[in-house]
Amino acid sequence: MTDGFRWSIGDAFSKVHGMEDQDESLNLRSSFEQARKEFWFMIVTWVFFAGWTTTYNGLFAKGEPGVPVEIVLGVPRWVVFGVGLPWVVAVSVTVWFAFCFMKDTPLGGEEEGE
Amino acid sequence: MTALISFTIYLFFVFLLAFFANRAGKSKSFLSEYFLGSKSIGLWAFAFTYAATSASGGSFMGFPSLIYTHGWVLAWWIAGYMVVPMIALGLLAKRLNQIGRIAGAITIPELLRRRFESKSVGNVATALVVFFMFFFLMAQFKAGAQIMATLLEGVAGYQSLVIAIESATDGMPWVGAADGDYLLCLIIFAVSVIVYTTFGGFRAVVWTDVMQGIVMGIGVLVMLVLAISQVGGLANATRQLDEMTPPRHVTVVLQSDGPLESEIILARGDWILMKDEEGVVRLKSTELISVGEMESHPVEALQITTPAEIAKVRKLVDPKISLRASLIEEPILYAYGDSKKGVYVHAPGPSKDSPAGFLGVMLALSFFAFWNFSGAGQPSYMVRQMAFRDTLTLRRSMVMVAFYFSLIYFPLVIIFTCARVLLPGMEIHPDRVMPEMAAALTENAGVPWLAGLLVAAPFAAVMSSVDSFLLLVSSGVVRDIYQESINPNASEKQMKRLSYLVTVVVGLLGVIAVLHPPQFLQDLIVFASSGLGACFLMPMIFALYWPRTTSSGMVWGMLSGGAVVLLLYLVGYCINDRFGEYLLLGLHPFIWSVLVSTVFIVTLSLTGREPPAALRERFFGQV
Repeated sequence: MTDGFRWSIGDAFSKVHGMEDQDESLNLRSSFEQARKEFWFMIVTWVFFAGWTTTYNGLFAKGEPGVPVEIVLGVPRWVVFGVGLPWVVAVSVTVWFAFCFMKDTPLGGEEEGE
Repeated sequence: MTALISFTIYLFFVFLLAFFANRAGKSKSFLSEYFLGSKSIGLWAFAFTYAATSASGGSFMGFPSLIYTHGWVLAWWIAGYMVVPMIALGLLAKRLNQIGRIAGAITIPELLRRRFESKSVGNVATALVVFFMFFFLMAQFKAGAQIMATLLEGVAGYQSLVIAIESATDGMPWVGAADGDYLLCLIIFAVSVIVYTTFGGFRAVVWTDVMQGIVMGIGVLVMLVLAISQVGGLANATRQLDEMTPPRHVTVVLQSDGPLESEIILARGDWILMKDEEGVVRLKSTELISVGEMESHPVEALQITTPAEIAKVRKLVDPKISLRASLIEEPILYAYGDSKKGVYVHAPGPSKDSPAGFLGVMLALSFFAFWNFSGAGQPSYMVRQMAFRDTLTLRRSMVMVAFYFSLIYFPLVIIFTCARVLLPGMEIHPDRVMPEMAAALTENAGVPWLAGLLVAAPFAAVMSSVDSFLLLVSSGVVRDIYQESINPNASEKQMKRLSYLVTVVVGLLGVIAVLHPPQFLQDLIVFASSGLGACFLMPMIFALYWPRTTSSGMVWGMLSGGAVVLLLYLVGYCINDRFGEYLLLGLHPFIWSVLVSTVFIVTLSLTGREPPAALRERFFGQV
């Protein structure tokens, strides 16, 4: 049985029995739960990148007194591995999150549109 | 002059967009259109309005001045922006938009009022938005006026206009004490922004944000290329930075060999040789020495300490100036970094005030949290998150903003570490390093007209923030105070007139308040962001994700968050005798405010009566 067929039967049933409100409420619940899952993913991601930059830079950004700065790609080495690299990884995670993890949700309510 | 012409063309396009935005919104419901663009903002508009509002005068004026003053450590300071597009856009946006639609709300206070069916929640939110947002407006107006001053400096007739304004306002209370050039630039800037915001409303703000966002991006990339090439390669700049030691703040008198035969006026920024002919200082203020005098009054100046820089700036000393500077007091040394090589390329970075340096580990972690969560908690961003069309727009915008921020923030660090090498002595006025750098880079490259576009970038950032804040404050007054509490049956025509009037009045009040601006632009911006983030972040998270949250939990969550920030700034002021925060246990006040706010919300919600089932079902669905 295709999804479309299942939905059309469901729609007809809802209309006959006045169950649209209940469906809407269930949809709202499931979109809320999806949003909550995404929320926790973002918190974990923040902890990971905050941990990376703080730990790496806390250990290596201070430099040794009297020792010239070590330069990689024109900038201090600690900037490359403590800021630049995590930045590139963070952008990649953002792309993955937006296109693969985050789900589309009907936003409901009044929609005026253009 | 050429810079001014290209800048004027840019402004013309801003007004043109406002005009078209006004026409486009004519057929829609006025309030929803004026304050929220009819909730129909698409991908490009949503991404750029968010990015442009975020990249405010702070990013383009205050941030460059910090990079210039403290060096590469600012890369760590701003590192939190690597996840800002995901966190600040994703944390609340989907639920905020959904609940905004269910509640039929146009403003943040209105959304909270309807979510909790409580007038007190809405009123407290309105009061806090208006209070903290006003500090933001002040900071942006100051930044706008400063950029304008750089553009108009040297334009024929400008100085006579300044003198005319000074004589016209002389003796007027409050206004008369403001500098003439600052007052003139402030008026030009404020009138431009107030006019297009009032005329075009939210849609104009969003459309101009798109244009301003593009201008900012292009401006930064052009500056990046010019800066790296003029400094002889990035590695060369980093090596030179490694050799630099911080300057010293000194008080000098300027002496001549005999009585002066004619009056001498020395401008702020002039370079003067020291008495020993070895050292060089840069004047922090204008100084006039009269005929017959042999010595000036004591003058504050900046003494350069890096040998390579001294050799460079000696060439900038006007050979016609025979005066020499003598120290009359002990120099004020940097509390961290004086005479220490390598401070500009390593953490914690030099600091004038703190013996621990500019950025300790705990403070760096605080800022990593601050940029993300305070960003998520700003009502000016929240209101944009109520306006996107669908979740696909949100997802794509997140990616677009991630790339955009990467192209803005990291390059800014590179550009202004290069500025340290190219423009010595900018510590006399660090907030102006951005426009000065734009002017210097384009002049060196032989394309002075391009300075107009480059200066338009920070100006665009400031404008796109001011317009958003103006609308936010006026929507608070019109929708949340007037329509909600004074005249619920106001007609569309009345609301329209009142919205225009309030936008103009709020703008004018902002101008009056900022006639005597606080010294530190970035401090003011961080204070306002912390205050708003403290008041709204945790309350909004609980309102959207925890059905058990009660209205009393919300009210006290907002108030306690704001109170913690105010208190820690007050303590900071009392201890340091200047506007700034107190870092309790090394953590920024925003972190403490989040903790306190959370404790209040959770405790009061759990001990209070459970919210009605119907209310929970309306916003969270069936359990």
